[in-house]
Amino acid sequence: MTALLAQLAPGNFRAPTLDFHALAPEIVLLVTLVVLVLLDSIKLERARASMPAVTNIGLLAALIPLVTLAADGGTRVMFGGSYVVDPMSLVLKALFIVSAYVVVLLSTNYVAEGDYWESEYYVLLVSSVLGMVVMASSRDLIGIFVALELLSIPAYMLAAWRKGDVRSNEAGLKYYLMGVFASAILLYGMSLVFGVGGSTRLVDIGLRLEEIGTEGVPVVTLALVFVLIGFAFKVSAVPFHVWAPDTYEGAPTPVTAFLAVASKAAGFVALIQIVYFCFIVRPDIIQPIFFVLAVLSMTVGNLIALRQTNVVRMLAYSGIAQAGFMLAPFVVAGELPVQSRQAVVIYLVIYAAMNLGAFAVVIAIARKTGSGEIESFGGLFQYMPGMAVALTLFLASLIGIPPLGGWYAKFSVFKVLVEAQTGLGWATAIVMAVNTAIAAYYYLRVARAMWFDDAPDGDTTPVKVPAGLTAAVTLALVATLVFGVLPGLLSDLTSFQPLALGG
Amino acid sequence: MSNPLSAFLRDYLTVGIFASLAFVLVGLLLFISWLVRPDRRQAQKYIAYESGVDPVGDMWSQSQVRYYIFALLFVMFDVEAVFIFPWATQLEVFGFFGLIEMTIFIVILLLGLVYAWRKGVLRWV
Repeated sequence: MTALLAQLAPGNFRAPTLDFHALAPEIVLLVTLVVLVLLDSIKLERARASMPAVTNIGLLAALIPLVTLAADGGTRVMFGGSYVVDPMSLVLKALFIVSAYVVVLLSTNYVAEGDYWESEYYVLLVSSVLGMVVMASSRDLIGIFVALELLSIPAYMLAAWRKGDVRSNEAGLKYYLMGVFASAILLYGMSLVFGVGGSTRLVDIGLRLEEIGTEGVPVVTLALVFVLIGFAFKVSAVPFHVWAPDTYEGAPTPVTAFLAVASKAAGFVALIQIVYFCFIVRPDIIQPIFFVLAVLSMTVGNLIALRQTNVVRMLAYSGIAQAGFMLAPFVVAGELPVQSRQAVVIYLVIYAAMNLGAFAVVIAIARKTGSGEIESFGGLFQYMPGMAVALTLFLASLIGIPPLGGWYAKFSVFKVLVEAQTGLGWATAIVMAVNTAIAAYYYLRVARAMWFDDAPDGDTTPVKVPAGLTAAVTLALVATLVFGVLPGLLSDLTSFQPLALGG
Repeated sequence: MSNPLSAFLRDYLTVGIFASLAFVLVGLLLFISWLVRPDRRQAQKYIAYESGVDPVGDMWSQSQVRYYIFALLFVMFDVEAVFIFPWATQLEVFGFFGLIEMTIFIVILLLGLVYAWRKGVLRWV
């Protein structure tokens, strides 16, 4: 605290040295954002057609510095340790940017053909991605909070993008109110963490918590619980999941894909930062909380998903269950910090591939049926065999059937849970195994409708699928297959140094 | 006493004491005035007070929806001011670096105004 005040005293200010190479992805995204706003402001309606292309070029351009940074290797620390670019943050940034690229592919026709505001859509999407990319590098409470707001606020608006539809308004409003509520709780928790730790930098707080030891358990517990609840809303973990199904159903489907994949991943990234750089010194407090969250999310998500008749709602509940699987490695964070963190990142990457793929197929099919009811998928194999096969593979991957990506994701989580050899770890692994079996039922129900049922209206003319959607499905399918067949690829990519703390 | 955590919690105790004092004080004052005041009920005393004028119309009055845009634009420049004033008081300290940072910040915020202007928001139809 005194150090902080001394820094703010007049005469003591020194301009921070900026590592422009490390900040290049953020700068490229910011420039893209500015270009999009200028384009919209200058050309007005005539800009509509070029917006998706400019967005995609910007996103791809942001990937280039990520590759050069990865080639350079090493950890770059900036702003006194508040902003760290290390291999883990590079992988996560690439995940966010590629997910956003796929979401733009999904949105292009959807937004252009519906009666929506088009230019603003892409501006908001890019600013949300910028928030996620900043989140991946933030190692400071303030940085994490700013990144969280930057990625959430555009998402609230995107959820309500089908302005004329009551459901979409409901989706946006629910998401907004719950999100703001969660932010408030999070901020209160952060203020307590700052009060205990005396710093906003995660590493310093971690050291301070270690120093305190078992003193003052009530206030530390209170602080950690509030912060975790704030992010539990973001990743839609039970019992903080109630907004998710309504929001996912009402929002435009490409936005749902974005929320279910990128936004959820951003919540997990924040959890990874906070847990592994800071709260890791108090496994006695965080592990029981994560056990309860993980077990409840898997079980409740799966049981409610069994009864859904709408495929988007089903995917929403399945997303809650999958969030439970992703929370599971945190249960053994104290015993196996490196491996459990790696398991979460592997799951995030593979989940993004298979879930984006599933949403892409649902969007393609909804172009014909206009609905997300599972019955409307009947006879799909007869008139769109390619899409039927793709969706079956994505669903099989979500179940965790080898040799698809989802299998490796689940395997790595199981592995770390069992290797930890703790009671909570064993218990989580058992609940997870049971839930994997339950999940197979509702995923396969969709597959059965596609393969064995007849088309409900008898109309079997194939749908014209735009090139962007086909590209998105192909991209997701290739990723799902490659990560399943060559799991070593991903585990090499995510084997981070044990202490990439920085500062 | 030496434990910083219990000191931290004790600060909250102070807040709690003051909060309960506030409630007690308000209750006490209301109780005393209830004891000493005369009690003469008249119909006029039950009308809502509206600056001395007789209240007219419904209490749910609607305001023009267009004002929300001005509220938004106001927030934009309000936030700008929150950052510009502290910077202005320490202008020499932050030097050239601060100037560049502030220029980037103001230009990006101004983009919002340009957007609003081009979309015809500033025109009162």
